Amino acid sequence: MEELMSRAGGKVPTRERLSQLAVSETGFIFDPQTGQSFSVNPTGLIVLDLLKRGSTLDVASNSLADRCGIPTEIASSSVEAFILQLGRYL
Amino acid sequence: MNNETKKLVWEPPFIQPHRMGEINKFGRARLHDNSKSSVYGVSVIELLRRFGSPLFVTSEKQIRTNLRNTKKAFERRYGSVVHGWSYKTNYISAVCNIMHQEGSWAEVVSAFEYEKARALGVPSNRIIFNGPNKPKFIIERAVAEGAQIHVDHLDELQLIESVAREQDKVVPVVLRLNFDTGYTEPWSRFGFNIESGQAHQAAKMIALSSHLNLTGLHSHIGTFILEPRAYAEQVRIMCKFMRELESNEDFCIDTIDIGGGFASQNALQSVYLPPEQVVPSINEYADAICTALLEGTQYRRQIGRELPRLIFESGRAIIDDAQSLITTVVGTKRLLDGRRAAILDAGTNLLFTAYWYNHQVHTTKPSEGTIADTVLYGPLCMNIDVMRHSVQLPPLSQGDNLVFSPVGAYNNTQWMQFIEYRPNVVLVHESGECSVIRMCEDLSVMMQQDRLPEHLSMPFPDTVAMNRVLNGSTIARRS
Ligand SMILES: Cc1ncc(COP(=O)(O)O)c(C=O)c1O
Repeated sequence: MEELMSRAGGKVPTRERLSQLAVSETGFIFDPQTGQSFSVNPTGLIVLDLLKRGSTLDVASNSLADRCGIPTEIASSSVEAFILQLGRYL
Repeated sequence: MNNETKKLVWEPPFIQPHRMGEINKFGRARLHDNSKSSVYGVSVIELLRRFGSPLFVTSEKQIRTNLRNTKKAFERRYGSVVHGWSYKTNYISAVCNIMHQEGSWAEVVSAFEYEKARALGVPSNRIIFNGPNKPKFIIERAVAEGAQIHVDHLDELQLIESVAREQDKVVPVVLRLNFDTGYTEPWSRFGFNIESGQAHQAAKMIALSSHLNLTGLHSHIGTFILEPRAYAEQVRIMCKFMRELESNEDFCIDTIDIGGGFASQNALQSVYLPPEQVVPSINEYADAICTALLEGTQYRRQIGRELPRLIFESGRAIIDDAQSLITTVVGTKRLLDGRRAAILDAGTNLLFTAYWYNHQVHTTKPSEGTIADTVLYGPLCMNIDVMRHSVQLPPLSQGDNLVFSPVGAYNNTQWMQFIEYRPNVVLVHESGECSVIRMCEDLSVMMQQDRLPEHLSMPFPDTVAMNRVLNGSTIARRS
């Protein structure tokens, strides 16, 4: 995650913080620490799952690019944005 | 996971916090697919290929069906009834002529609308001339041609009288009335007020004039009226007034015109429930109106007088669902608050009614991906150019099409010539054939009315001096 921190340039949630989240198959997320709930879209669900399991930004981006059939650079920048977004909420 | 796994629809990963009060009554349940690939039986792709985007599509069959059903509802209950087509609701020539072919008169409210009805070939005795601004030249024409003039205020009454005298005629006039039904905000700015005595005073003046003859009463209690009892009350008050006039003065009222205002199947932004649940059927309106009218005119039957002719001027209820607007997505965005947004090639410049309705929005191909809250923007450089502030839609991409409906009322008249060209309006004929009924604008249309004074004929008149400046700067740079 530190690697993400420097590349994404903002607050990034730790793997421990992410692992606290209760995530349903349909993309419903509950954060027991704050009581806040969220919805995540299908691509977000995949990335969140990978990050919780400790994937690096590159692994998560490659995997997403593969699942959706899109170029890795696009996946990579959108995964960075997603991680920063997580950082804002968690 | 192997390569055979079905590819996921690409959308940037996104997380959205739930805010209290924002979850609708359907929870996050995936809404059913509401796409439709055709409008009024014609393929959207085919329409766009032939006529371009954006595109207004009008259904002749729907207009005729709506009008027939509405007239039948009144005729069954009351007998003789005339529909006055409210030109301002949609005055595209083909639309007006469909109405006229169905027997509707023209209800016009300005010199332009009067001239348009006559240009289309509407006989003057089938023109109802309403509105607060009737300049002398058009009153002269209406009097000479024998149109049915509805008087809005005292100055106008005097003007009509003087024109009638000049032309040495006795002009039949209809008084526009306003009063409080207790159901709607009274539109007291139009016509003569009953409660204050203005209406009685106007009737007296007509009675005293040897050039005027009071033949009818008119009122329009408002628009998008969701309560049929408002009309029952309107008719009761008008009949009471008619009876007073007929017993005090030597009048014989042959026309009761109840105006328009029946709601269409559209969703007002201020109304929580969907139109299916709040908009009364035509039969409910007709029931309320005709019951009150038969009651209020019973005195005439007792003395062997004919019943007055009933005129109604329904606009939106006849045309709204007979037109849809096809638009194209030109780009998509993610807003800072997490919502999806799309920019369309049509905005409030074309869909003026988006300011007060939540129109239905349909995609034109089966949806893929998660349905989510989406904002739809028009193409204008104005913050208020929003087609829908919040609508549940699947992810959109550039080039996707969205169909807005119903849009038939007040858009082809109130649309703005602002920034963009106005697009084609087409009609789906009863045969299924399609044709343009209003051509899209182009540069020549946009510049046609401009006039350039001599000294402004060139944008950069001093081109010689200009060249010198440009050359000078070139040299300066070289040195
Ligand atoms: C005098 C008059 N008649 C008819 C109409 C048509 O109203 P609607 O479209 O609500 O039926 C209007 C609209 O404002 C009107 O002012």
